[in-house]
Amino acid sequence: MKTQDLIAALARSEEQPKRGRPWLAALVIGLVTALAIFAAFIGPRTDMIDAIGVVFAKAAFSAAFASIALALMGRLAKPGRPAAKLLRGLAAIFLVSLIIAAIALMGDDPGARMQAWTGGAFPWCLILIPLLALPFALALGFVVKTLAPTRLALTGGAIGAAAGGLGAMVYALHCPIDSIAFVATWYALGIAISAVIGAVIGARFLRW
Amino acid sequence: MQSNEEIRLRALMLKGLDGDAGAHRAFLEGVAALLRGYFRRRAADPAEAEDLLQETLIAIHTRRTSYDPKYPVTAWIHAIARYRLIDAWRRKKRRGVSVPIENAWELHDTPDDNEVDARLDAATLLEKLPAKQRESIRLVKLEEKSVREASAITGWGESDIKVSIHRGLKALAKMMREETA
Repeated sequence: MKTQDLIAALARSEEQPKRGRPWLAALVIGLVTALAIFAAFIGPRTDMIDAIGVVFAKAAFSAAFASIALALMGRLAKPGRPAAKLLRGLAAIFLVSLIIAAIALMGDDPGARMQAWTGGAFPWCLILIPLLALPFALALGFVVKTLAPTRLALTGGAIGAAAGGLGAMVYALHCPIDSIAFVATWYALGIAISAVIGAVIGARFLRW
Repeated sequence: MQSNEEIRLRALMLKGLDGDAGAHRAFLEGVAALLRGYFRRRAADPAEAEDLLQETLIAIHTRRTSYDPKYPVTAWIHAIARYRLIDAWRRKKRRGVSVPIENAWELHDTPDDNEVDARLDAATLLEKLPAKQRESIRLVKLEEKSVREASAITGWGESDIKVSIHRGLKALAKMMREETA
């Protein structure tokens, strides 16, 4: 087939690019699914009413990751645009949360540090944040795939980090441990794990 | 400093996005002229370069909503072209074909603005599509009928035909990629 003929055929097509708000739809689908998983298997903390302030603070901390990662993801989904600044921004927020954890630990009584840092139990958030991230990641991934990502592992990592931040916002409704050092360390690590999984899966799944 | 090419292609692209089919066609022709040399310098032979060019044109057409008008259109075009090239290499590699790092044929053999036939015959590939997609593409794309006429001929709904064309073109692009790999 001659390239001229292909161009003529493509230019004749009457189909218009799809309208709508795919990002918003993906976020809503992800949220509804994550909340369903949450309600079925995890459930809110028992002292929700008393702890509403700290729950909000933890969700806001997670939202900071989500917002920068979502911006990076959107940037990478449409190619030919610089992404380095947003990538540095995402790296910076991980660094800041580690610094916050270190400062908070320094302020703690030495005997209580270990307890404050680990929460005294297995850090379930490392498993539950990626689990709650999954529906967000799938929904966002399908939208990204319809666009034209060209750096697939990086884009997958951004999707994973964004979904991890969103999953952590939902997880904050459950998580009973409120120490700053705990949240700054393990939430960030849960989001980082989501990002790594996203990069590995994205490198294959996002191909077009 | 923007190149003349950027200014011209960007204006055509924006008009095309507004529904100006003539501008869209001129845009795609401009893209082909811009990228033919790029692929010729990197592909194993001119026919493979033309296949890559056609895959890229289809990608640029079907994914044109992924262009952000706030940024240069040539950067967008080159990002997609590079992706298609790398993807082709990756598919070749998986099948054990060696990846060309250097020009495998004399560069000045064929001038870049000359067209060669792509190795793939679209008609043969078309036969492999499901009947509905094949008929829709044949009527609208090859026989240049309007979607409404095609709908009257086949009895299928207009949106049905548009969707079939869209899916068929996607499937064609995929087949071309697989054949070239």
